[in-house]
Amino acid sequence: MSKDEIRDRIKQIIHKVANVPPERIGDQASLRDDLQLDSLSLLEVGVNIDFEFKLAITNLDERMPSLATVESAVALVETIQAEQEAARASSPMATA
Amino acid sequence: MSERVVITGIGVVSPLGADPAALHAALCAGTSGLRPSAEPGLSDSMVGSIPDFDAAAYLGDGNLRPLDRTSRLATSAATLALANAGLDTAEESERRGAAGLALGTMFGSVRTIAEFDRRALTAGPSYVSPLDFANSVINAAAGHAAIWHGLRGANATIAGGSSAGAQALGYAYDQLRGGHFDALLAGGAEELSFEALLGFSRLRTLSTQPRPLARDRDGGALGEGAALLVLERAGSAAARNAIVLGEILGHGLGFGPGRDSEIALAMALADAIGEALAAAGLGPEAIDLVSTGASGDPLLDAAEARALGLALGTRSGGVPVMAVKGQLGESLGAAAALQTVALMGAIRHGQIPGFPGADAIDPDLGLSAATSTRPLAARHGLVTALDADGQAAALVVTARRAA
Amino acid sequence: MRVVVTGIGWVTSLGRGRDQVWQALLAGQSGLTPVRSFDAARYPSKLGGEIDTFATDHGADRPGRASQMACAAARDAVADAGLDLASLEPRRVGAGMGTTSGEPREVEQFNDLLVAGKTSEIGAEFLRRYPCHTIVTTLMGELGLRGPNAMIPTACSAGNYAVAFAFDQLRAGRADAMLAGGADAFSRITYTGFARLGAIAPEVCQPFDRHRKGMVPGEAAAVLVLEPLRRALERGASIYAEVAGYGLSCDAHHMTAAHPAGDGGARAMAAALAASELDSDQVSYISAHGTGTPTNDKLETLAVKRVFGERSRRVPISSIKSMLGHTMGAASAIEAAVCALAIRDGVVPPTINYRDPDPECDLDVVPNEARSLSVDVAMNNAYAFGGNNASVVFRRVRA
Repeated sequence: MSKDEIRDRIKQIIHKVANVPPERIGDQASLRDDLQLDSLSLLEVGVNIDFEFKLAITNLDERMPSLATVESAVALVETIQAEQEAARASSPMATA
Repeated sequence: MSERVVITGIGVVSPLGADPAALHAALCAGTSGLRPSAEPGLSDSMVGSIPDFDAAAYLGDGNLRPLDRTSRLATSAATLALANAGLDTAEESERRGAAGLALGTMFGSVRTIAEFDRRALTAGPSYVSPLDFANSVINAAAGHAAIWHGLRGANATIAGGSSAGAQALGYAYDQLRGGHFDALLAGGAEELSFEALLGFSRLRTLSTQPRPLARDRDGGALGEGAALLVLERAGSAAARNAIVLGEILGHGLGFGPGRDSEIALAMALADAIGEALAAAGLGPEAIDLVSTGASGDPLLDAAEARALGLALGTRSGGVPVMAVKGQLGESLGAAAALQTVALMGAIRHGQIPGFPGADAIDPDLGLSAATSTRPLAARHGLVTALDADGQAAALVVTARRAA
Repeated sequence: MRVVVTGIGWVTSLGRGRDQVWQALLAGQSGLTPVRSFDAARYPSKLGGEIDTFATDHGADRPGRASQMACAAARDAVADAGLDLASLEPRRVGAGMGTTSGEPREVEQFNDLLVAGKTSEIGAEFLRRYPCHTIVTTLMGELGLRGPNAMIPTACSAGNYAVAFAFDQLRAGRADAMLAGGADAFSRITYTGFARLGAIAPEVCQPFDRHRKGMVPGEAAAVLVLEPLRRALERGASIYAEVAGYGLSCDAHHMTAAHPAGDGGARAMAAALAASELDSDQVSYISAHGTGTPTNDKLETLAVKRVFGERSRRVPISSIKSMLGHTMGAASAIEAAVCALAIRDGVVPPTINYRDPDPECDLDVVPNEARSLSVDVAMNNAYAFGGNNASVVFRRVRA
C-alpha cells in the first residue's frame, strides 16, 4: 500500500469522526488542536485505524501520542506494517 | 415552597413537523405521519419516522459524530424550546446555565448499545467504538443536550416506556416547586430502531393502520421524535418578562402490576389522574379535554378508557378526547410530551383534532370522542400516559389561547 | 417533614444481608475476582466484581438479572425495616430505582441470536425483559406496591438520584414509605466498553493511590427503606439515619470526562449541604465516588477541596469501590447504605489497597483499616457519564 493511499484512508477515518471534509484535513494538522478532537474521539480514530489496516495493536493507549497528526499516523501505520512484514518473513510458517 | 410552574417554551421534532403550530394544523387536517419502515426485513411495518431529520438544521455545522440519533433528537428539541422561551440569547446564558433537564425515554438508544455489542462480537472487543460506548448509557441523550446547551442544573433521565415523558414533566415540576432550580427543560425523546421494531413485532402489538379507541383497533405503530418544554417557576418567568404559553397545574403517578391485566392498568392510571386533579385542586368537571396515550392497542386503549371512567366518573362520557398516536405513532418515551404539546395546541387554537378511529369509537369504552376535527373552547386539559408494564402518569395542563 | 432510613438490603460480590456485607466491608475484604460470566481471554484486564452467590432464575417468565437482584435486595430491606407491607395502603408505598445499563444481558442475548443468523428465535421476551424500567416495575409488582414510582437511569449517579426521588415523594406527602436504590448486572457490554477506554485496573483497584490504574466493573443491587421520621418513631422502627438533603448538578462539559476543575461535583456537594442546612464543617465522613481511575480520584479531590477548603484534609473520605469495584447504578445506593450504617455504628469502612500517597489526592482516605469515628453527618458522592453529579447528605437522628 502506498503512502498516499494510507494517508487518504486515514483522512477518510478522521473525516467520519471529526466531520471535517478530507480535503480540508492538512497532513500536519493537529487532530487535537486543529480538528478539535477530544481524547474519546482520538481513541475512536485510533481504533478505526487499527481496524482499517489490520494492525492488531495491543497497546493502543500507549500508541495514542503517535496519532497527533495525519503524517505521524501514517508513520505509525507504516512502522507497524513493516514490523508485521518482518515477523512474517522470519516465521517458519512463511516458508512452509 | 409551592410556587406555580409555567410553560415558557416548546420544542418539538416529530413525524408531522418541528413546529407546534404546524403539528397542530397537521393533526387537525388528518395528515398521517406514518410510512413504511426502512428497517431491513421489517418493511411491512408502518412507522411514525422522521426520515428527513437533519440535526445540523438545529445544531449548526459543528461535529455531530459524538451524538447518536436519540441525542440528536433531544438536543434539537432543546434548541427549539430554548429559542421559543427566549433563553437562547447571550444575555440569558447565566439563566440557561443554571437550568436543569428531565428527559423521558424508554430505551435511551437500544440501537447504539446493540451496535456497540455487535461490533465486539463480529470484529473483536478491541474494535468497539469508544464514542458509541459513551452513548450506551441510557442517560446519554440528556448528557449531550446538557453539554450542547450548557445546562448545569439537575440532569435526570426517567425511563418508563410510554409514560416516561409525562413522568419527566412531573419530575421537573417537583424540582421547581422544591426550589432547587428556576427553570428546567422537560419532556422526552425516542428514536426508531431495528431492535425496538423487531421487539415490538414479536410482542404482536403492531398494526399497519392504527385506529386508537376504535372498535376495530388491532394495534399501534411505533414512532419517534422528541418534545421538550421549558418549565419555569412563575416568579422567575415573570421577572424576565417571559411569555407564558401555559401552566402545569398538577401531576400524578400510578402503578398496576401485570402487563396483561386491563383492570390493574386502568386502576394505575386512575390513581395517577386522581392525584393530578387533587394536586391541581380541580374536580373532574373542570377537565375540558383529554390528550390520551391511546395508540390502537386493544388492551392498553381499553385500560386507558376505563381509567378515565374510574377517575372522571360521569364526566368521562362527555369529555372530548384526542389520540395523537394514530398519526404520530407510539413514540414511547417521547409520546406523553408530544401529547402535551398537542393538547396545548388544541387549547391555544380552540380546535380539537380528530384522529383515525374517531369515526368508529368502541362503544364498550364509554367515551364520546369528536368524530372529526372541530372547534372547542377548552381551558383545562388532561394528559394521560400508561405503559404496558404498569407505570402510569397524568398531567393537568392549561395553555394560553391565541389572541 | 423529616425522612429517615429504616431498612437496608443489598446483594453484592461480598454477599447478601445487611450485616454480612457491612462486616466484610469493615474488614477490608475484596469481592473482586477474575471474570467468570464470559470469556475474558481477549481483554487486557480480567478482574470483575461478579456475584457468584446470586443465581439468576432462567425461567421463561423471569425478569432480567438486575431486576431479580433488585427484588432480592428490596425484600431484605423491607424485612430489615420490620415493615409490614400488608398493614400499609399499597398506594402509599412506592419505589425509585436507578441503573446505568438496565438489563444489558438481554441485548447480548438478542445479538447472539442475530449474529448467529437465528433472528427468528428472538422472541417476545426481549421486550418484556430488556427495558430498564422493568427493574422498578418488577420490584413494585413483586412487593405489591402501587405508589409513586420511577426508574432513573442516570448512570453511575443513579442510586443517589433514586434516593432523592424517594425523599421528595415522602416530603410531598405522597407516600408513607418508599424504597430507593439501584441495580446493575455484570455484562460483557459494560466490561468491553471500559476495557476499550483503558479504564479497567489490571490487577487491583486502589482508589486515591499514586499508582492507581483504573476502576473494576462490578454488579450489585441495593435498596433502602425511607419513611417519615414521625411514622418510624410511631411504629418503633430502628432508625439508621436521616436523609438531610441532596444536590444535583451537571458538568455540561463532556460525556465521559469530568470537569477539569471539579466544578459540577463541587456544586452538587454545596447544593446538598445548603439543602440540608448544614455547613461543610459539620460533615464527619464522605463516601467517595472514588472509582480508582487516575482522573476521577484527582478531580474528586479537587471538588472536595473547593467545598471543604482548609478542612478538606481532615475529613475522612473512603471508597468502598476498592472492595466491590464499580457497581454502576447500584454504587451510590450501596454507598448510601454505608453512610447510614457508619452513622449508626460509629465506624467508617476503609479504602483498601492503598500504598503510596498521591500528592494530587492528599485527603484522609481511611487507608486499609476501618476507623472508629462518631459520624454525625455523612456525605455520599456520585458522578456519572453525561457529567451527572449527585450528592446526598445523611445525619444522625438524636433521640
